[in-house]
Amino acid sequence: MGCRLKRFALLAGLINVLIAAGTPAFASTYFLTVAGLGGEPDYEQRFTMLATDVDKILKSGGQTDRVVDTLKGADATKAKMEASLNRIAGQAKPADAFVLLMIGHGTFDGTEYKFNLPGPDISGTELAALLNRIPAGRQLVVDMTSASGGAAAVLKKENRTVITATKSGMEKNATVFGRYWVEAMRDPAADVDKNDAISALEAFTYAEKKTADFYKEQKRLATEHPQLDDQQRASAFPFLKTGAAAATVTDPAKRALISKKDDIENRIDALKYQKSLMAPDEYKKQLTALLLDLARTQEGIDK
Amino acid sequence: MRPVLIALVFSCALSAQSLQRAQALWNAHDYEGANTELMALIAAHPENAEYHFQRGKLFEERFDAEFAAKLYQEALEINPKHAGAMLGMARIAAENFDPKAKEFAKQAADADPKLYEAHELLARIALEDDNHKTANEEADAALAISANAVQAIAIKASLDLLSDKESPWVAKLGSNGKGYETIAYFFVINRRYEDGIAYYRKAIAATPDLWSAHSQLGINLMRLAREGEARQELELAFNNHYRDKPTVNTLTLMDSYNRFKTFETPTTAIKLNKKEADVLYPYFQTELDKIIATYNKKYETKLTVPVQIEVYPDHEDFAVRTMGMPGLGALGVTFNNIIAMDSPSGRAPGSFHWASTLWHEMSHVYVLTLTNDRVPRWFTEGLAVHEETAINADWGDRMIPDVLAAIRDKKLLPVAEIDRGFIHPAFPAQVIVSYYEAGKMCDYISQRWGEKKLLDMVHAFAKNVPTVDVIRQQLGIEPEAFDKDFLAVIDKETASTVKGFKDWTEGIRAINQFMKDGKFDEAIAKGRAIEGLYPDYVENGSVYDFVAEACLKKNDKPCAIEELGRYSKIGGRDPETMKKYAKLLEEAGKPKEAAAALERLNYIYPLDAELHHSLGGLLLQTGDAAGAVREYQALVDMHPIDAADSHYNLARAFKATGQKDKAREEAVLALEAAPNFKPAQKLLLEVSGDGEK
Repeated sequence: MGCRLKRFALLAGLINVLIAAGTPAFASTYFLTVAGLGGEPDYEQRFTMLATDVDKILKSGGQTDRVVDTLKGADATKAKMEASLNRIAGQAKPADAFVLLMIGHGTFDGTEYKFNLPGPDISGTELAALLNRIPAGRQLVVDMTSASGGAAAVLKKENRTVITATKSGMEKNATVFGRYWVEAMRDPAADVDKNDAISALEAFTYAEKKTADFYKEQKRLATEHPQLDDQQRASAFPFLKTGAAAATVTDPAKRALISKKDDIENRIDALKYQKSLMAPDEYKKQLTALLLDLARTQEGIDK
Repeated sequence: MRPVLIALVFSCALSAQSLQRAQALWNAHDYEGANTELMALIAAHPENAEYHFQRGKLFEERFDAEFAAKLYQEALEINPKHAGAMLGMARIAAENFDPKAKEFAKQAADADPKLYEAHELLARIALEDDNHKTANEEADAALAISANAVQAIAIKASLDLLSDKESPWVAKLGSNGKGYETIAYFFVINRRYEDGIAYYRKAIAATPDLWSAHSQLGINLMRLAREGEARQELELAFNNHYRDKPTVNTLTLMDSYNRFKTFETPTTAIKLNKKEADVLYPYFQTELDKIIATYNKKYETKLTVPVQIEVYPDHEDFAVRTMGMPGLGALGVTFNNIIAMDSPSGRAPGSFHWASTLWHEMSHVYVLTLTNDRVPRWFTEGLAVHEETAINADWGDRMIPDVLAAIRDKKLLPVAEIDRGFIHPAFPAQVIVSYYEAGKMCDYISQRWGEKKLLDMVHAFAKNVPTVDVIRQQLGIEPEAFDKDFLAVIDKETASTVKGFKDWTEGIRAINQFMKDGKFDEAIAKGRAIEGLYPDYVENGSVYDFVAEACLKKNDKPCAIEELGRYSKIGGRDPETMKKYAKLLEEAGKPKEAAAALERLNYIYPLDAELHHSLGGLLLQTGDAAGAVREYQALVDMHPIDAADSHYNLARAFKATGQKDKAREEAVLALEAAPNFKPAQKLLLEVSGDGEK
């Protein structure tokens, strides 16, 4: 499993480069965060706080390619959620990305999933219909509610990554996955490949591990098992980018060095694929040489 | 009338046949068949107590004591004088070391004066309490009814053998394995495992199909880490229908041993679960070496065989090691030179101090070795508790409300009887109270007669001298006078807490309300006013928690630091609270103090990646590069999400210790995970010579 994940990550790295190269510089990411009905003050406060944190993180860092919309408390009604999704459907282009973050409680009656909102709830089917109208070429839905696994099938679409806090609609207890998803957005440790971007896979892996640790440390039976429908696509989805990487790539004076750097990175990736077939010492020797070369090249770029 | 009488006689004859049939099925190990017959009898004759009783016996024999007790109870509801059912209830209570056993057995003896088994059970209970006089009297009472009462003979033999005397009673057991099995049992509960094993072997030699003895032989061999023979004996018992919980669970535990990894040195063997072995091993080995060095000096002896520590992440696995043993610690247990204990991961973070437990159990290893296992429970436990706080005042257990209540209600036992509190607790918390009391007795002896006197007592107990005589000989005081003086000291020490407990609980409620109302000054003032009434209370919702939180609400960090400092000093262990304290210290420019606060957590819950990350950073900052290597290595071994960062930090620490090759290896590992990780690139260049140009 660990090996498979690593290969996904490597492949994703390549895909990421390709996507980044093929994506127009002006492409935007539309974010909609909805904190649903808490039902009791403690949950109400918790959900609102998480949505507020997400909003703050997304609006910080001077990123101009993000369009951020957040619905929480009394504003998080079905009508307002529909309106927001319709607005995004009207504005987003195929080159854009779209992210929907759902925080709160959900229910599942064996057939239909519902996201609990003040007033009427929104069903999984209704939500899927609204999302399908959004033309953004890359979509990510993170449903962090209880019973969210019940929504996975209906939300599934070719260009859409779906993450749920629970493995099925039958896991009905309040979840902690959302707390750790938001933590992943803040914690530099979530960016495991240190490429100044947290991919959907990185955020998922972070939140999934923290969720499992939570139940383990509390000596409680885990009542949620987060699910991700497509690791490869998730690893290629730069859910939260920072600005540093982009600034370097656009510097024309360093073009030769950047080209060399890309070449070394590709050779490192290729070497990693061969790791299991190589003698450990030989692998280490070659890897060290490439990493030194990469470090020197980076040093040259940064001068 | 005549047809009715014929029908009644016919019915009785049929019932007798059915009972015989049930018994035959039972003997043939067809327990389900026997149960079906007995159920049919009960359905036909619901008011016949004997059938309920027989079914109870069947379930008791098949290890379902709970259901058996229910059936005995049914029999007693029909016939309150059913001596067999009363005795059954007594046996079941005795199995659980429930003090009600004595009461049931006495009722059974009263209901049937010829029931010698009731006296045998009373003798057994008395001997478990180390009450030799009553044990002897009850055994005699049983023998007066039946000169061949095997268990009574075994009790008489045990009384002699436990006192290291030759016993004429052993020969009287002849080829009755059950008698030898009882002697073995008493050796085992007195921690004389080798003697116990020898007698289980005698039991099996006398009665080869005594499967309970095979099972117990297996369990006790396993306790002493003789796993090969242990498995053979346990499987033999299991395959012959003897499938009680200890047998089944011990076999299951042995099957799980392939998930463990053993680290050996000439004097130690540490067995850890593979999933946490690499993280825990350095901490356990360091502590164990420190303990051995300290105890070798203190107890003036060296262990001749390696000590083995088994650390179980699953508390249920640890519990298997203690099944059927009375009054044993819930966190660790010692069998001669083998220690089994919970892993820090087996308990909620903050609820278990593994290092304190290790010092405690290791004290048993030395005391059992020095006394050749002849030491009363109170003394070895008391000394072990004493050692916990002797090494570090904030280790060991804090005084919990149950202990306070026992002191207030004058429930502490005299030294001559304190063993009873460990074996047959008369109230739910008495085992814990007895640990506390025994520990305090050893503290008191150390304070009044000197620490060396404790070692003199160890040597005295080695001669199998009873507690009262050791007190007289070694302390020069009568046991009653010892109790009087000791209780006076305890009363003095705890007076303000016992007296102020009500005010303290009311104060806590008031603080809680102040916090809810946002009256933080009032919460702080009230907290500081009542803190001294019960300073040992460091659990959730302690005064320290409230006051520190109130200070932080007021953004008064020095106030919070002061409060959390008190919490830490008195023995507070909650990892989140301690991490908060360390963070505040770090922010206040006190990295050494912050590191010290986090170091405490390594003895409590070292399976915390955040702890090792923070502590590694602080140690590196304060110039303790070796400590930083230890912490960052633990972090790497925990396989954190951010592998690159953890390898990079370890590389930094290695570099700081001057180990450039290791630093380079770790930098490469960091960059393997994240090739563009600039700090790691820089470090790789530096340790490869590039950065030093």
